[in-house]
Amino acid sequence: MPVNPDSKIEVTAFDWVPDFARGYVRDLRPRWACEEIGLDYAEHLISAINRPADHFLFQPWGQVPVLNDGGIRLFESGAILLHLAEKDARLMPRDAQARANTLAWLFAAYNSVEPMLFELGNVDIFSTEEEWAKLRRPSLIEFIQGRLGRLNDAIGDKAYLTGEFTVADIAMATVLREAVEAGLIAEQPRLQAYLDRCLARPAFQRAMDAQLAAFSEEAGPPAA
Amino acid sequence: MSARPEAAPEITAYRSVPDFAYGRIKDIRVRWALDEIGRPYRTRLIGGIFEDKTPTYLADQPFGQVPVYKEGDLTLFETGSILIHIGEADARLLPRDAKGRGRAISWMIAALNSVEPMIQTLVVLTVKGQGTDWLAGAIEAAKPFAEQRLSRLSEALGDRDWLEDRFSIGDIVMIDVLRNANPALLAPHPNLAAYVARGKARPAFQSAMAAHLADCAVSEPQPA
Repeated sequence: MPVNPDSKIEVTAFDWVPDFARGYVRDLRPRWACEEIGLDYAEHLISAINRPADHFLFQPWGQVPVLNDGGIRLFESGAILLHLAEKDARLMPRDAQARANTLAWLFAAYNSVEPMLFELGNVDIFSTEEEWAKLRRPSLIEFIQGRLGRLNDAIGDKAYLTGEFTVADIAMATVLREAVEAGLIAEQPRLQAYLDRCLARPAFQRAMDAQLAAFSEEAGPPAA
Repeated sequence: MSARPEAAPEITAYRSVPDFAYGRIKDIRVRWALDEIGRPYRTRLIGGIFEDKTPTYLADQPFGQVPVYKEGDLTLFETGSILIHIGEADARLLPRDAKGRGRAISWMIAALNSVEPMIQTLVVLTVKGQGTDWLAGAIEAAKPFAEQRLSRLSEALGDRDWLEDRFSIGDIVMIDVLRNANPALLAPHPNLAAYVARGKARPAFQSAMAAHLADCAVSEPQPA
């Protein structure tokens, strides 16, 4: 059972978030990586509403996760995934080209796919009633569809991005989940099958259960 | 490390780009890193930014972007992964110890995933939204995200010269991201403006930019 309060590896997560964010907070990524290799980690739960002042020393944006591995403190889920991947070849193969492919696809998720979904989030969630958002949406969707189409082609007949499952799939699958509700994955059959394959992994489900179990209603805002 | 020219790594770059992208393409980051450690490289120019890419090229770079990096039998895409690979060969770019390495990679991913998307969105909206009814609303909605990140970054940098106690690949990417921001966004943060100026004053940045511009011409803007 990877969640172990005695572990020297500590993942910072929130003790409460609104319903729409549950299951999508980014500590899901290191939790998933730990579950894949059976690596124990302790949880350090903080308030999302009143973030401890010293949290910004460890995470400049005040977000989660932070990883504390015996005094090595890392922020940004991508850096944390790479750090964990160095511990176990099941997360990143040791062969030079396979390792290079893992790095490349992890960065593709973080810098070539997720950024355009941030803008979609702004259009579809934060500004959905705004007139400009309705006008901007078609050209943004067209751009995203183009890139997801390329990704669909690149996956081809492979089970995972580099062939075998790696941390790059943890990054890409958690990014693609952000586009599911907009219907953008369903129109790319190979991508949909790939995402389903990733999310069907028992380690993903355990990571999700662990994130949800950490939320407590008492830590939320007072009921109106 | 052999200095034989045939052993030098090869990077791809565009032969021409539209004026808004001139001097802002990501092969600059890789050239900069290689020039910091005095490592010779070769350039393979591919067509213009909007030209269709060959299937062979798409096999190396699924989104048809630059740079692709080849070194012997090894092929990499995404600048983040290329910079880790280059950095692993030279501690001047990426510290050897787990803590220094993890911090440098945290900052590099912070630049790629937590700062660049917010700044890039404003650039994309300005170019694609020219003359549309949605431009003003979209900019107004997107700008606070960029402003908030830059405020936090300014606090995190404080009065240090670099993001950590010494220069690393994290600084290469962060400075390249910030120098492409609208100057008005940096104006409230003199330490960030000074940080960018410090990075651009490095001989390796200047040689990288000169080599990039020597390879790249300005093309007509792509019709919308």
